[in-house]
Amino acid sequence: MSAVDDTNIDEILESEFKTPYAQRMMIHTLTFLVLIGGWELASFLGYLNELIMPPPSWIAFRLYEMFFVTGSIYWHFFVTMFEATFGFIIGVSIGLSLAITAAISPVFRRYWAPYAVVFNVTPGIALAPFIIAWFGFGWSSKIALAALNAFFPVFINVLTGLLFVDKDMTELFNSLRANRRQYFWKLQIPSSLPITIAGLKLGMTTALIGAIVAEFFSATEGVGILMQRFAFRLNMDGAFATLINMSLMGLTLFTIMEYMDYKVLFWRRHKRMEEVSAKRKARWTMD
Amino acid sequence: MGSATSVDVTPAEMGASGSGEVVIEARNLTKAFTETVIAVQNANFSIPRGSFVSLVGPSGCGKSTILRLVSGLIDKTAGSVAVHGNEVNGPTGEIGMMFQKAVLLEWRTAVENVLLPTEIRGTITNEDKRKAMDYLHLVGLKDFEFSFPRQLSGGMQQRVALARLLQTGADILLLDEPFGALDEFTRERLNVELLRIVDGPEKTTLFVTHNITEAIFLADYVMVMTPRPGQLAKVIRVPFPRPREIEIEVTPEFQQLVAEVREVLGEFITGDDL
Amino acid sequence: MSVEASTRLGTGYTGSLSAALVKHLIIFAVFLTIWEMANRTGIADPLLMPRPTDIVQSIWRIYVTQGNVWLHLWITFQEAMLGCAAGIVIGVSLGVAAVLSDSFRDFLKPYVILIECTPRIAVGPIFVAWMGFGMGSKIALAALVCFFAPFVNTMTGLLGFDEESEELFRSMGATRRQIFWRLMIPTAAPAMGASFKLAVGAAFGGALVAEFISAQNGMGILMARYTMSLNMPSAFAGLLSITLYGFILFRMTEYLDYRALYWRDDDLMAKKSLKRKAKWERTMG
Repeated sequence: MSAVDDTNIDEILESEFKTPYAQRMMIHTLTFLVLIGGWELASFLGYLNELIMPPPSWIAFRLYEMFFVTGSIYWHFFVTMFEATFGFIIGVSIGLSLAITAAISPVFRRYWAPYAVVFNVTPGIALAPFIIAWFGFGWSSKIALAALNAFFPVFINVLTGLLFVDKDMTELFNSLRANRRQYFWKLQIPSSLPITIAGLKLGMTTALIGAIVAEFFSATEGVGILMQRFAFRLNMDGAFATLINMSLMGLTLFTIMEYMDYKVLFWRRHKRMEEVSAKRKARWTMD
Repeated sequence: MGSATSVDVTPAEMGASGSGEVVIEARNLTKAFTETVIAVQNANFSIPRGSFVSLVGPSGCGKSTILRLVSGLIDKTAGSVAVHGNEVNGPTGEIGMMFQKAVLLEWRTAVENVLLPTEIRGTITNEDKRKAMDYLHLVGLKDFEFSFPRQLSGGMQQRVALARLLQTGADILLLDEPFGALDEFTRERLNVELLRIVDGPEKTTLFVTHNITEAIFLADYVMVMTPRPGQLAKVIRVPFPRPREIEIEVTPEFQQLVAEVREVLGEFITGDDL
Repeated sequence: MSVEASTRLGTGYTGSLSAALVKHLIIFAVFLTIWEMANRTGIADPLLMPRPTDIVQSIWRIYVTQGNVWLHLWITFQEAMLGCAAGIVIGVSLGVAAVLSDSFRDFLKPYVILIECTPRIAVGPIFVAWMGFGMGSKIALAALVCFFAPFVNTMTGLLGFDEESEELFRSMGATRRQIFWRLMIPTAAPAMGASFKLAVGAAFGGALVAEFISAQNGMGILMARYTMSLNMPSAFAGLLSITLYGFILFRMTEYLDYRALYWRDDDLMAKKSLKRKAKWERTMG
């Protein structure tokens, strides 16, 4: 579960810094190197048990091995990414459809919303054993758990976004005698985008978690089971190397999501507003 | 709490502005939200074409409610209200509204916001697009047609809302404290511009505000409302010729009218049971 | 956010609560009957959807006759709660530290994104390898999984006060400590409360996953064992238990949040206002 999605961590952290970017980058790199160096030193001097807490050099070596020597990591990386992404897409599709249905039809909402609320609290992960039993040991169970995990945040957020439309804007549309369809496409959908995107981000994160957890149960491929194998054989440098891989995975997905946020929600950032404004001006055709 | 006066603003009383044809008529108009909360009680008024009527009173006196009743956004409890002779059942194309907040869609540029009414009504022709641009220029927003609401100040956003109102082509304009959230200087400027735009026999305006000076400056007639229950207490005619300059606000004649309004509102201003 | 939002959703009831409840119960009963029938006539796969009657029997068994569920519930509950407590303490401490020390915040910045992106639950096997099959690894994973939301929310919440309020405090000569306790903490309280709600859910999930990886006792391993042995009715019984307890936990946290942040609800505010007035009058005589 990641953080409350309203918060823009970057802004808060960025706000008060006066030193220039390059200088801060240097300081960051330096502190990082110091940390790594200290870690390595502690291990070298015998303070850390290499079996439990391998030194950075071992981890780095293992990474190198994974990527360039055996090349084993690529396939596992791909498998888990695929499971997570595909599951995400499925979860989003179902979540979107159900949410839109619930938003449009009060009857549907009345009878199904209570269940959604109750089940949302239970982590989808708890269903892992069931999913494995139902879908077997292959890829489909991983995709299914990922989809289940992605479904909830997307469903809840999209539904909330569609239901809680600014009252004044609704009144405006009433005064202009807009029909239901116009109201849906021209107001409900755009106004729900911020919350929907937040839900998508959360869904992507939890989908990845779902895929990995399903792999813990039973898999032959994927970074989840790879991690588990390494850990159980006390091959800690391998486990940490795999963890770093997972971070990379997460970072990639995060970047993709942030890019989507940047592109779609243009009216929240000045720079984007200027870009879109110029584009629309150029597109304005009249004779 | 004041006697149940029913104030009849008849065409005869309204005098020589416009053709005298009544475009908005309310008879014993009453709106009760619950058994004890009566927002409007027995309102009677007839507003002739081309006139500018202010509706002034303290907060919560029901003036916004009257506006919403005339526009058809809410249903009446008793009595009748008719626009162009037809009983009001819901919003029609004959009315256009402006609210306290500009209520612009944040993801649309100014001109796209102005075109919203046309879009909802059907297709947008080049003629519509040209008109939208013209209206934006008319309200003083040249060079800002493609700006987004968040890039505009509060006053500018309200101008876009005004342009959108004009775009509807409605002849009856209902404005609900549109300048209430703006600073004094912007408000004054927009007041003058508003008069410039709506002056004439084609447009009939009903303007709600809690600002007495604004109410008198803008209007031909000022309807004063008192709260709990909301009632029309008095109609005051504003005889100043048009076009009006801000400077008239300091003249003794103007201040006399202000005093008249204050007298009616008397205890409600000193706030004994606000 | 998604959890908090879901509690605002409501269900669009227009009638009375009891009428709606009755309607729901009837529908639920009909649903159960259909389910049962589907199983008896062999339409439904008992693996996928075991018979309601079987599930009820299992519930009875694990709770009463065998009574084995109690131990597992207790263990998972402990793991989740301890992990949640640890996670909240760590998260809040980090958040506070980040706010009090600019250099620490600066230092932390690149790692925050990294931590946010990494699927922390994947550290599970590492913890199990380090700490063995006991409760330790479960608590650790629960803590790791849930600390992030309290951390971020504490930090952004504490920094979220408006400038004018701070100026007001400074104009009155408040010390940094006073500003912290009397302005920043109350400002942060709603966000922190929301994050605690999320943390409870996350810790629960973390504990379960750690159990899946390997454990001797706990609801997670119980359900895993049942599903592996294809004892679906019992597995469902376990699932229902978890859902119920998760729901109860969540409501409890919500209630605490509601009571603590009294100024967000009109009725509570009115009551508090009266209480304070009474206290004032008592002490002033």
